[in-house]
Amino acid sequence: MASARLDSETLPVITKHITQDVINTFEACGILNRANIHNDPELASKRLGTTYAIASGRMSIAFCTEAMRKFIGAEDFHRSGNVNLKFLRPVKHGDTVSVHGQVNSRQPQDDGTTMVVVDVYCENQNGDKTAVGQASAVVSG
Amino acid sequence: MAAQDLPLFNYDDVQIGEELGSYEYELTQEMIDLYRKAVDDPDAVFPTIAVKHDATSLALAYDDQTGSINAGNEIDLYNQPVPGKKIRVTGRIHDKFVRREKPYLVIEATATDEDGRLIERMRTYQIKKPEELGKKWHPQG
Repeated sequence: MASARLDSETLPVITKHITQDVINTFEACGILNRANIHNDPELASKRLGTTYAIASGRMSIAFCTEAMRKFIGAEDFHRSGNVNLKFLRPVKHGDTVSVHGQVNSRQPQDDGTTMVVVDVYCENQNGDKTAVGQASAVVSG
Repeated sequence: MAAQDLPLFNYDDVQIGEELGSYEYELTQEMIDLYRKAVDDPDAVFPTIAVKHDATSLALAYDDQTGSINAGNEIDLYNQPVPGKKIRVTGRIHDKFVRREKPYLVIEATATDEDGRLIERMRTYQIKKPEELGKKWHPQG
């Protein structure tokens, strides 16, 4: 049964330690099997001028998705979830990224459900925001 | 199709609304397991996030020598994908614009499974001038 934490205003904090191995594993989930700026430091150097590969921003989408699923409940989030992030800083090997969120609004819908909108952000171990945005889902019951 | 057979990507030539074509793949339990390992989330069910449907659509339509940096992502979830089912992805150019002298390309992909269930819609805001962000992150470079 889906169950939103309607009495809570904050998302559970999700924390992830980023390694190049983790980044490479994420990239291996694709179907093209190509070198890119995430799994190839030389290509990252050529295209970005960095001395390291960077994690895909989609990893932060995945982390926010986990936080929202735990907050909203899997059933509701998996059929109505939205995550929208703007990326501010690179995430790379050695970083620790945490996802935070605060409820922005709860909007009752005509069908008795509630649209829950959450302001979310990711920050690294230095307290710098790496991504900001919003996430939402329609909560039943 | 080999990259050399594809038309070369030219930012000025791509059109808003341009269809990038469709492709299919089978979602396997191994893909789900690999994704769960990558994001350190044993309950994650959308490995499609790491397949990067929209970027894959662009890569299958054009030989992109420019590269890009991901400025933002938005994902809408509709139904949990089922292992063993084929996923059909359709991509398009959603928008393009120039902001602060940086050319943005917005690509979008919609995924359904072999039974016609809508799975997810992903949108990516790419900056097609990736070296500019590298300079911002590493001004000494």
